[in-house]
Amino acid sequence: MGLTIIFGALGVVNFAHGALYGVGAYAGFVTYEYTGSFVAAMAAGAAFLLVVGVVVERGLIRLYYQRPPEDQILVTFGVAIILVEALRAVFGGLARNIPAPSWAAGIVNLRVTLYPTYRIDVLAIVGASLVLLYFILYRTRLGLIVRAGIEDQLMVNILGINVTRTFLTVFGLGAMAAGFAGVINAPIVTVTPDMGADILVQSFVVVVIGGVGSFWGAVVGGLIAGEILALTAMIQPAYSQVMLFTVMALVLILRPQGLFGVEGRQ
Amino acid sequence: MSLLEVDSINTFYGEAHALFDVSMHVEPHEVVALLGRNGAGKTTTFKTMMGVMAPKSGTIRFNGVSIHGLPPYKIARLGLQLVPEERRIIGGLTVEENIILAGLSVPKPWPPERVYEMFPRLGERRRSRGRELSGGEQQMLTIARALVREPQLILLDEPFEGLAPLIVQDILAICRRLAEEGRTIVIVEQNVEAALSLSKRCYILNNGHMVYEGTPAELRADPDFMHRHLGI
Amino acid sequence: MSARAARPAALARRFAPEIALIAVLVVLPAALPYIRGGTYDIANRILDWGLFGLGFDLLFGFTGLLSFGQAAFYGAGGFVAAYLLIAPFTTNAVVALIVGTVAASIFGVIVGYLSLRRTGIYFAMLTLAFNEMFFFLDISPLARWTGGENGVAGVPEPRLGFGLFTININDPGGLYWLLVVLFVVGFWLARRIVASPFGAVLRAVRENGARAAAVGHDVPKYKLTIFVIAAAYSGLAGGLLGLLQGYMPPDAFYLDTSGQLVVQTIIGGAGTLIGPLIGATVWLYLYTLLQNIAGIGALWKMILGIIFVVLVTIFRHGICGAVTLLWRRLSPQPPPAAEPPPPAEPERRAAEPRRSAQRPPPSGPVVLATRNLTKRYGGLTAVDDVSFELREGEIRAVIGPNGAGKSTFFNMLANVIPPSSGTIEFKGEDITGLGATLVCQRGISKSFQINQIFPSLTVRDNLRIPVLARAYGKFHPFMLRAVTRDAAVNAGIEEAASSVQLRDRLDVPAAELAYGEKRRLEIGLALATQPQILLLDEPTAGMSPAERTDTVRLLRRIAAGLTIVIVEHDMDVVFGLADRITVLFNGRKIAEGAPDAIQGNPDVRAAYLGSQAAHEPA
Repeated sequence: MGLTIIFGALGVVNFAHGALYGVGAYAGFVTYEYTGSFVAAMAAGAAFLLVVGVVVERGLIRLYYQRPPEDQILVTFGVAIILVEALRAVFGGLARNIPAPSWAAGIVNLRVTLYPTYRIDVLAIVGASLVLLYFILYRTRLGLIVRAGIEDQLMVNILGINVTRTFLTVFGLGAMAAGFAGVINAPIVTVTPDMGADILVQSFVVVVIGGVGSFWGAVVGGLIAGEILALTAMIQPAYSQVMLFTVMALVLILRPQGLFGVEGRQ
Repeated sequence: MSLLEVDSINTFYGEAHALFDVSMHVEPHEVVALLGRNGAGKTTTFKTMMGVMAPKSGTIRFNGVSIHGLPPYKIARLGLQLVPEERRIIGGLTVEENIILAGLSVPKPWPPERVYEMFPRLGERRRSRGRELSGGEQQMLTIARALVREPQLILLDEPFEGLAPLIVQDILAICRRLAEEGRTIVIVEQNVEAALSLSKRCYILNNGHMVYEGTPAELRADPDFMHRHLGI
Repeated sequence: MSARAARPAALARRFAPEIALIAVLVVLPAALPYIRGGTYDIANRILDWGLFGLGFDLLFGFTGLLSFGQAAFYGAGGFVAAYLLIAPFTTNAVVALIVGTVAASIFGVIVGYLSLRRTGIYFAMLTLAFNEMFFFLDISPLARWTGGENGVAGVPEPRLGFGLFTININDPGGLYWLLVVLFVVGFWLARRIVASPFGAVLRAVRENGARAAAVGHDVPKYKLTIFVIAAAYSGLAGGLLGLLQGYMPPDAFYLDTSGQLVVQTIIGGAGTLIGPLIGATVWLYLYTLLQNIAGIGALWKMILGIIFVVLVTIFRHGICGAVTLLWRRLSPQPPPAAEPPPPAEPERRAAEPRRSAQRPPPSGPVVLATRNLTKRYGGLTAVDDVSFELREGEIRAVIGPNGAGKSTFFNMLANVIPPSSGTIEFKGEDITGLGATLVCQRGISKSFQINQIFPSLTVRDNLRIPVLARAYGKFHPFMLRAVTRDAAVNAGIEEAASSVQLRDRLDVPAAELAYGEKRRLEIGLALATQPQILLLDEPTAGMSPAERTDTVRLLRRIAAGLTIVIVEHDMDVVFGLADRITVLFNGRKIAEGAPDAIQGNPDVRAAYLGSQAAHEPA
């Protein structure tokens, strides 16, 4: 459940660019395999993705700012394919398992049910990350620029700030967050080259429900999405994913801008 | 050497020719009015000066430095500052955050306190979000944003638009004070009387052509001409 | 040349693509043994993807709707057909395929209706999400019927029952011919759709959906219809997949499948109908070929991905596009179209007298009226209680200083935005809130300040769009007749082109016109709907002085028999055209009357110069 929140927050970052293209790229990003200590793996995953993110943006995505959205989707999709296949080529296609780090192994006895320690830790990590993200967005200069830029990119430019460079940084950070999230998720699911696809869709669902361009929207959207999945899993597991999409479809029909959507200005 | 020298610029919106060989100049410490009906190209001229649009031909020099074709943030850092029509306050940020944002790219920006000294109203509303401000407050904030950056030349685009008469008087007073302080300002306004009362020289644009350069007195002496180009 | 003698040659030309296709497909089996990796199975799969792609190309290549969820219908059609055959509810593969296709179409209606409420990225992601929904439905809740992750095995060899006779197919070779027949028929059908009036509107939707709606087409209905058609093609292809493999796999529902369809179509060339088939050939063939080359084998998909990205970035039209470009470069060029006459030297002041010879004061019946029209945006009243009457044959100019509410008022007249209160009446009937499409059908047409044309269509094809809306109404799903052979429509196009002096530019792509010509096309599009009332939004925007004079002359000419409302800033244009002038200021009407009276009106003068006039509170 916690993962959906992070991916929703990613959505905020992506929509700072005004296009969904980054999410598609992340589909490819959320894949990696490392050996060694868990902490090292987290750092490595994040750093690697920062590099990849910057390279992709500078080299390719920036050509697409003026092109119609369909083209942007297509190129992201293509990049995702290339990345996924590259991973498959380097690491092979078999599913791998990364065990939870020793400091987080074990089971915790919650009154209602037994719950693996690692998942609690994940929740904690996610929570901490969200706090960090909030801090960055609302208490730092970078965050100020990002929040202003989402709303009125041109005006920020007129005020002497190189918004494009800021967004590049944000894109890189977003890629990093994706990598980080992927590493966290690894012990819970099996690691395969195309694990990104599910996340991609879920991330989108979260953004749709919560609303475009809103930090709280992403958080709430993620919570709602997570709850839907968890609750329906308990009642009728077969329908949990379906339920998620039904809710998304309802939101799109009844309130297209999401719960907290913010209209941006180009 | 003029502070701002615009020489024969031609600006297009896609293929639509909006400015035809437009030239003008601004000297330090003067207030210059740029007049014309809407659709005449006044805002387009400002946008071209600020780098929001690039002219297809012609040059713009600021302090002798060529600035046409540069992106807005670079021009802003050179000391030219646009105060856009529609104010364009960042609605999601507070008043204070808007002020801080404006100062980020300047080595010695005005601290918020100095802004509140000049605009006490803004001080009272420092924690309000931009979108919660009234029109007059927004106009004050957007002028304040420019001042924070200590610009050498301010481009004021329709500062009185959409404001109640009393508020217009307030903003007019602020503009007068800025003029008395010796700031260099180019003001675009449809409110011809207000603009002429502030300025030392004026230009008139009509359908993208510069059709007049002179002083307010000279212009007022020919009311038919004024109506022809500014009225109907 | 007599009509009789012309027919065979003309027929051959009309059906050239089908003939070429049939020729290739008929010859292919003979060539198979000589092609490395060539088997019936691969050919069958390619044809199946090609059929799947026909629908997608109609949807994306021609209508511009990028769907990442076609696999939902592919799988649905496939599983329904497979289930029917296995249960068995029928042993007749024809019945199973038809039912499968119909099922897919029904899903198409539902998914389409929901997804088409959004556009662009949101639409794409919606289709993707529905695809996922279908996938998960297939895997879990419906596993009893679909076999869950194992799919449905045991699809029998096709037995095609046609009532009187039956064809039994029991080898890939037989399947090949079945697929060839279905593909050729599907191709022919798709070509007819593209060439029909329906197809013309689809292309307009792709180029500029808003303008297509503004000239009178019910765009949402067109989009839904083509979405369902694409779903039908997908469903049929899915059903055939089951027959092909003897087995219906859950990966028919995979996102990968939808993605593969997109990649294949782009590689082959979108908007060509044959592109998906070519793309499938490349994909499947590359896969087979590269498998066996050591070292590269596992990278085939990555190579394809790279090709795909390169194509999308640099060259959007795929292999077909490349071939067409090469063909054009090699074939002899016709002499370039005559350059449009150079514009006269721009003059600072127009030499024309300001006022045309006075037209008689308008005295016809009132054709358009607004009563207390008001528009509020939150606390701001943009248009305040404006009542206005327009007489038949009149040319009315609406002017006013900045922020006066002209555009808002104008957009309400054009029914682009609904008023907050007040009504609009057209010839006595209330048309408030009907929307631009319906209002255009009734006889009010608008031309835009910024050109809203269909850039990659020729002038002729541009003008065809409004003429079609006038001739056939807002929704005309007529897909079988070639639109170029419609004499009435062609006549309408010629007439519209003449009235805006674009007769000799009819076959030029709109994007290549000079700016002034594009402006004329813009007006021509509105004129071609044969409106009774023409609304012109700043028709001289962005024009040089000489172009303005020309435009005024043009407008005077077309004004005969029309009632016109024009919003303008250029006073020379206003005084050169208008019978009466309405002046708005701060959302209110402050004056209305003959041009002389308006010019001398002290309130109007004051409004423009900004002296003591009252302002609206901020």
